[in-house]
Amino acid sequence: MKEKITEFLAERIPIRSIETHVKKPLPKHINWLFSLGAMALFLLILQAATGAFLAIYYSPSPDHAYNSLNYISKEVPFGGFVRGLHHWGASAMVIVVFLHLLRVVVYDSYKAPRELTWIVGVLLLLVVLGFGFTGYLLPWDQKAYWATVVGAKIASTVPIIGDAIGRIMRGGEEVGAVTLTRFYAIHTIWLPWIAFGLVGLHLFLVRHIGSSGLPKNTPKDMDAGKPFYPDQLFEDSVAILILFGVLVVMALFVPVPTEEIADPTDASYDPRPEWYFLFLFQLLKYFEGRFEVVGTFVIPTVAILLLFLVPFLSRKERLPIHKRPVALTVTSISVLSLISLTILGLRSPRLDSTASTASEADQSKVHRSTDTEVFDFGLEEEN
Amino acid sequence: MNPQAEDLASPKRRSFLKASLLFISGLISAVIAVPLFGFAVLPALKKAPKKYVVLGIVDLLKGSRYRKVNYTFQSKDGWIQTNRKRSVYVTDSGNGNFVVFSRVCSHLNCLVRWEESKGQFLCPCHGGVFDEEGNVVAGPPPRALEKLSVKVEDGVLYVKEI
Repeated sequence: MKEKITEFLAERIPIRSIETHVKKPLPKHINWLFSLGAMALFLLILQAATGAFLAIYYSPSPDHAYNSLNYISKEVPFGGFVRGLHHWGASAMVIVVFLHLLRVVVYDSYKAPRELTWIVGVLLLLVVLGFGFTGYLLPWDQKAYWATVVGAKIASTVPIIGDAIGRIMRGGEEVGAVTLTRFYAIHTIWLPWIAFGLVGLHLFLVRHIGSSGLPKNTPKDMDAGKPFYPDQLFEDSVAILILFGVLVVMALFVPVPTEEIADPTDASYDPRPEWYFLFLFQLLKYFEGRFEVVGTFVIPTVAILLLFLVPFLSRKERLPIHKRPVALTVTSISVLSLISLTILGLRSPRLDSTASTASEADQSKVHRSTDTEVFDFGLEEEN
Repeated sequence: MNPQAEDLASPKRRSFLKASLLFISGLISAVIAVPLFGFAVLPALKKAPKKYVVLGIVDLLKGSRYRKVNYTFQSKDGWIQTNRKRSVYVTDSGNGNFVVFSRVCSHLNCLVRWEESKGQFLCPCHGGVFDEEGNVVAGPPPRALEKLSVKVEDGVLYVKEI
């Protein structure tokens, strides 16, 4: 029976060449860090699957978004689990993609002929951050609302065209219904298409050029290792299983942090971004007055451009990072800065919320009752 | 394949790896697929308990003959509390009893109309015809029109949700 099926398929599609392709030997010297790409791919599929199902119940409108997510978490069977997987999967994606990038840097894997693979990878990193930014507006809670208000304002600081960019992001002057629907469309339709397209290209390049392996591989070693299938795929699957196990435990036992429904008038709220944008949040504190644009635009733009250019900066042969003093220094400083900015951001003090908050909250209530037309965004909870 | 890679892949080792790979991918797929299936399907299968809702004031409905009555009642629609609208025909059968016909055709759920001149309910979709008792006279409907359960309390006529 199995032979008949194989024969049937072989007459129609080139399964034999696919077979030799997946059994292609990898470089001799390789380690488990080379599973990080497979882990990122798994996370992308997990996010796509859980996201496609969350979209069954989610309603992208300021009147409904918050309540529809409550409905998912509290009333739909497995709702908390599915939402938890998607939420923690997003954080895992940022971590795994970052480690994947570091692995490539440490082993000098982006050098010729793998520059294009690297460039597509940097684009994918930006796509991941785009997923994060558009995704966490969707719950329409306080964090969602204020992160988007601040995010759009950051984009508005770009010289000359900033105001237009900010408006295009929000869909107008204010963060509201139009912002939510466009973020939803970008998050669930545009970015997934772009992501899968880029991943396809990334995988094609990896397969076509071949895995880089460790720098100590000689040209003879490049196809002297274990076959991709089943050996490497088995190791990938073990790494993925561990990652998935952690996510399942998180989804089951750590509730997705949910805040109050978005309230544009609540001045007692201290806005903080999701943890993976805290470094930027913290960085912005150091640039005052007219230097604001350095933190919001100059540093991020230069960093992203540099990232794209990395493979072209040195034409030397591949070496492990401890034999590349410049790369080692720049990488260490960058990683340490990112980590310390994130920690500083986490510890960043909140405004004193005992004395002033009460009066601020009262004031905002007075505001609402007198200027309802002006301040009522139609965000009241359904009764 | 070169000889060294061949060594790595002894038949026993290869079949172990393949089996483990299959097991791990099956396990992960199941842990994802089962909750996702339940997530998408179970809420749709859940049946809400039916309750009596207000149809109208008895005094105003006295003497009705196939009178079309529209009414609304509060109901939960996912995360929204909504007003559902229904339409029925009400007939006063004397002694304070009422017959309430559902307008939903037993064929494919179109709304039937009472035709006074013919003394029949006609369905606008596929030609179903019902007599004044709601029994099928012609056309594809498999069953009579449904008569709703009614009760009268404090001068108010209630019907059971459908």
